Amino acid sequence: MAPRVEYFFRETASGLRRNGVVAFAAMSTAFIALFLFGLSLLIAREFALVTRVLTGNVEVQVYLTDPVSSGTVGRLTNKLQQVPAVANVAYWNKERSCEEFQRLFEGQHVFLENVDCMKVIPTSLRVKLSEVTNFEQITASLGCTIAVEPDGDQHQECTEPGVRSVADYQKLLDRLDSLTRVLSLGVFGIAVIMLVSAIGLVANTLRMGMFARRKEIGIMRLVGATNWRIRVPFLIEGMVEALLGAASAIAGLFLVKVFVVDRLRGTAPWLPLIKNTDVVAVMPWILLAAALVAVVAGTIGMRRFLDV
Amino acid sequence: MISLQRVTKVYRNGVTALEDVSVEIDKGEFVFVVGPSGSGKSTMIRLLLKQEEASRGDVFVAGKHLSKITSFKVPHLRRNIGTVFQDYKLLQDKTAFENVSFALEVIGKPKHVIDQRVPEILEYVGLGDKLNAYPDELSGGEQQRVSIARACVNRPLVLLADEPTGNLDPNTSVDIMRLLDKVNKIGTTILMATHDQAIVDAMRKRVIELDKGKVVRDQSRGVYS
Repeated sequence: MAPRVEYFFRETASGLRRNGVVAFAAMSTAFIALFLFGLSLLIAREFALVTRVLTGNVEVQVYLTDPVSSGTVGRLTNKLQQVPAVANVAYWNKERSCEEFQRLFEGQHVFLENVDCMKVIPTSLRVKLSEVTNFEQITASLGCTIAVEPDGDQHQECTEPGVRSVADYQKLLDRLDSLTRVLSLGVFGIAVIMLVSAIGLVANTLRMGMFARRKEIGIMRLVGATNWRIRVPFLIEGMVEALLGAASAIAGLFLVKVFVVDRLRGTAPWLPLIKNTDVVAVMPWILLAAALVAVVAGTIGMRRFLDV
Repeated sequence: MISLQRVTKVYRNGVTALEDVSVEIDKGEFVFVVGPSGSGKSTMIRLLLKQEEASRGDVFVAGKHLSKITSFKVPHLRRNIGTVFQDYKLLQDKTAFENVSFALEVIGKPKHVIDQRVPEILEYVGLGDKLNAYPDELSGGEQQRVSIARACVNRPLVLLADEPTGNLDPNTSVDIMRLLDKVNKIGTTILMATHDQAIVDAMRKRVIELDKGKVVRDQSRGVYS
């Protein structure tokens, strides 16, 4: 078996040398395609992380109109507890809300010094939901609807007395979701187009390689080399090009993680960011896509040479 | 060893290259196929290698019914057939040794077999001192010897030669014919398509004459015309 392996790799290496520039073009296209492909996966993962943080401790904030009487709090609490999706209801008074505000904006003096939280932050009922998707039951029970003004602006109106507004997570989640979709699908779409051109270019390199060596291939056929014997060096060549593209794409993604994502770390403590393990997790997909490029390119590139 | 039974070959463009040809060649025979250009000599060789399929009739080579074997098995058929051409078909970037070893390498022969057989066969064809010469350092006759060595290195049952002396001067041609005769003497069946009247007349072997795709003469110990 050993001389065979040596034979295949020697043939592949000489093929790559002969076809240097074209092979490089194929490789760099594969790199860009696989990089964008990985990037789209990472964007999707990042947004999944953000969504999980937002929905993990889902709490609907029902802001109350000042001043708040204990009667209103009791009445609204009762009413909310009757909604099936509600797990529990807690009342946050001014002091509690202020603490939370100071915790959230810790270290950001512009906010802490200029905002009088005792005045600005409204008291609220914090409603824990058993499931995020049942958010609408809360708004419905409090008679809150989205009013559309003639100029197209939207704002929320609640008919229940004492209720100022209900923080609308659904809208935020919807927006986040569509943002994910646009970014991730957009990049993914470009990645697919690039993958197709990578396939075309790799197939073309293989075909040029076969053309350059048609005399050799003709002799191989005459002396009884099997089709596999003839094709494998070219297949390995395509595989090497795709895998070198994949390796650079993975390296590129780590660079993005180190130089873009890690710079953001610390600027927004509440924002979860992708870690090295996330980049590692997309690696198999990139390698899989690379293998796909090689196999499809091999099939297309060698189709014409299949006849004996 | 070679048998064509009522073989007709019509190319896709409508040209009839062979028409109702029946030929039997036994093991160890040396046969010339003669005839003008376009008479079907090359088509016959292409059919025997299964580079083309017969339109009608049956072709047998080395015990195999060619229209019955799958394309998957064609390489194994060709390992039993050596081929020699007018233009030698040598790889210019390989030495004599490498050109011959290439033929064994690509059918997966192990290195120790290659290292033993290649110098042996090059010695046999008279190039024992030119193992490391590149084709452009060899004369036409020497290049054809390399090509014969390559055709014979895997010890084929049949050797097909298509105008092997077409590019060579008369004296060199005689040397090549002596070599082919030597290869024939060790039991290899040889079918040689040629135009070379002097050679055919000198060798006095069996002659099959084709004209416009038909066998017009099949004569043992024959002459060119």
